[in-house]
Amino acid sequence: MMELLQTLEQTGQNLLGPLWLPLWTLIKIVVIVAPIMGSVAYLTLAERKILGFMQVRPGPNRVGYWGLLQPLADGIKLLLKEIIIPSSANKFLFVAAPVLALMPALAAWAVVPFGDGMELANVNAGLLYILAMTSLGVYGIIIAGWASNSKYAFLGALRSAAQIISYELAMGFALVCVLLAAQSMNLGDIVRGQSHGYGLLGWYFIPLFPMFVVYFIAGVAETNRAPFDLAEDEATIVAGFHTEYSGMGFALFFLAEYANMILIAALSSVMFLGGWLPPINIAPFNMIPGLFWMLGKMSFMLFLFLWFRATFPRYRYDQLMRLGWKVFIPLTLVWLVVVAAWMQTPLWLW
Amino acid sequence: MLENYFPVLLFIIVGLAVGVAPMVLGRLLGPHRPDSAKLSPYECGFEAFEDARMQFDVRYYLVAILFILFDLEIAFLFPWAVVLKEIGTFGFVSMLVFLALLTVGFIYEWMKGALEWE
Amino acid sequence: MISFETIVFYLLAALSVFAAVRVITARNPVHAALFLVLAFCGMAGIWLLLEAEFLAMTLILVYVGAVMVLFLFVVMMLDIDLVQLREGFWRWFPFGVALAAVMVFEMVWVLGNNRTAETGTALVKHDADYSNVKELGRLIYTDYVFPFELAAVLLLIAIVAAIALTLRRRKDSKTQNVAQQVAVKRADRIRIVKVPAEKRGE
Repeated sequence: MMELLQTLEQTGQNLLGPLWLPLWTLIKIVVIVAPIMGSVAYLTLAERKILGFMQVRPGPNRVGYWGLLQPLADGIKLLLKEIIIPSSANKFLFVAAPVLALMPALAAWAVVPFGDGMELANVNAGLLYILAMTSLGVYGIIIAGWASNSKYAFLGALRSAAQIISYELAMGFALVCVLLAAQSMNLGDIVRGQSHGYGLLGWYFIPLFPMFVVYFIAGVAETNRAPFDLAEDEATIVAGFHTEYSGMGFALFFLAEYANMILIAALSSVMFLGGWLPPINIAPFNMIPGLFWMLGKMSFMLFLFLWFRATFPRYRYDQLMRLGWKVFIPLTLVWLVVVAAWMQTPLWLW
Repeated sequence: MLENYFPVLLFIIVGLAVGVAPMVLGRLLGPHRPDSAKLSPYECGFEAFEDARMQFDVRYYLVAILFILFDLEIAFLFPWAVVLKEIGTFGFVSMLVFLALLTVGFIYEWMKGALEWE
Repeated sequence: MISFETIVFYLLAALSVFAAVRVITARNPVHAALFLVLAFCGMAGIWLLLEAEFLAMTLILVYVGAVMVLFLFVVMMLDIDLVQLREGFWRWFPFGVALAAVMVFEMVWVLGNNRTAETGTALVKHDADYSNVKELGRLIYTDYVFPFELAAVLLLIAIVAAIALTLRRRKDSKTQNVAQQVAVKRADRIRIVKVPAEKRGE
């Protein structure tokens, strides 16, 4: 497999010369983006099926066997719907907002490693890049809310913007703890730092367990998912910032939300659950390719997202802000100091 | 080092393209029959009677300002975190002082009730 | 043959200059703020070309991700009336010009004063595994520890100032303080007064 790729690269190099590198990179990007889009589509089906089973009902089962063609049907339906641009809206920004929401959700994937050396860009400041990209996600929401010129959209945008920035802090502090443990910002190195030959005992979720929990819950809040989906609280502000969107505009916000969910799942696997490493480093486990371990861990985290939605009632806004500012930030600050102090002693084993 | 960022640049461009393409396709494939009721902003059964861009609670500004300050703090923590093993106890103590000063600010904020939502 | 980096530089530079010009010419303040975001993004790209990885990312993270969000909050919610805003234009025009002149003078002085191109050193190209962030980390927390702690003091002052400026109790708030309600004693609410009985017939 590896040799085949190498010969392919060699022939391409000979054939196209300097044009080969951009083309090859583009092919790699498509190989990353296409499965993400596919997973987003099937994550919606998985969500509806799992929610269905948790509520003792079958979920979608009309389109295709077991409802397997449902995402396709949904996609085609959304594609063929009219894109309504309200007359009082700011037209250019109204159309640009969904694109701006999706772009960072995809661009962050450039540095995520799927296996040992299986990343598009081996960037040293990888984690910083991801944090910078996710901090851009709030623009799609703010611009959508403002450009719509509708009260519900505006209120929803304001709410989710304040929510996202509040939880970004907790997320940032949790990331700093991972950096402390790994002494590197390179996501590949972070995973390699978790391999000590003891399997899952070397993963960072053990010394950083509170940070793992905080990171994941903050991730749920960042992606505006239940139980923190106040931005789309139907009972009070209709659909929040995307109230005025229809057709593909709505679909792009939807894609961005799910792509972000998968991203959070991938990042928590990489930073806390050892990425592509097998949980036990002995014969049957370490023969499975790392990619499958990574995908398995991501699926587990994604299942948690859906499980949360089925289990918890929605938070109230003041409770949400209290959790972010008064629980998570102090907790992460304290744990940061604990980890740093712990590293000054010989008791630090990771 | 720069060659590592080339795929990132390309990825950002592809990310934009992946966003623009469906919007264009949706515009081309979907119907386009606007009317005044359809194009008016959503409201619960009556005509929208005032501008949607209203004045807001000042508390949102406060959240945004505090966010900036703590975000800066995180920006200072990043380079520290990756070299802590090299700079040893001295680096650890200098960051402790930094954090202690900011914790004073955080406690002040808490006691003043700047974190309450009512 | 110009290198690919040069092309990217000119593209980013053109983008930044265009965005910066639009910041001051855009009529709508929200558009102006968004153009400022674009200008920051262009500058982050240029810094990245200079291999200032950490600064480029921090520019995005702090300025684009945080400061501009505040700006947008402010300009979106202040409900700025454009006509009213333009009223004082000519009155403040001389003041603005004077300020701009001072800044231009300062820039010329700083840039022109023995800091011309020939004294500048060429950019050192680094390998792929060179970490700008680590280099910074080695210096900030050891050699430059005093400026670093000073930054903390500055941030502390900013926190206090922000609270002093924006924290207002809402008058129409109806929230109940549960702890206060529970902690209430009988003596806080009830006062027993002895009223002398009135005499009949007067």
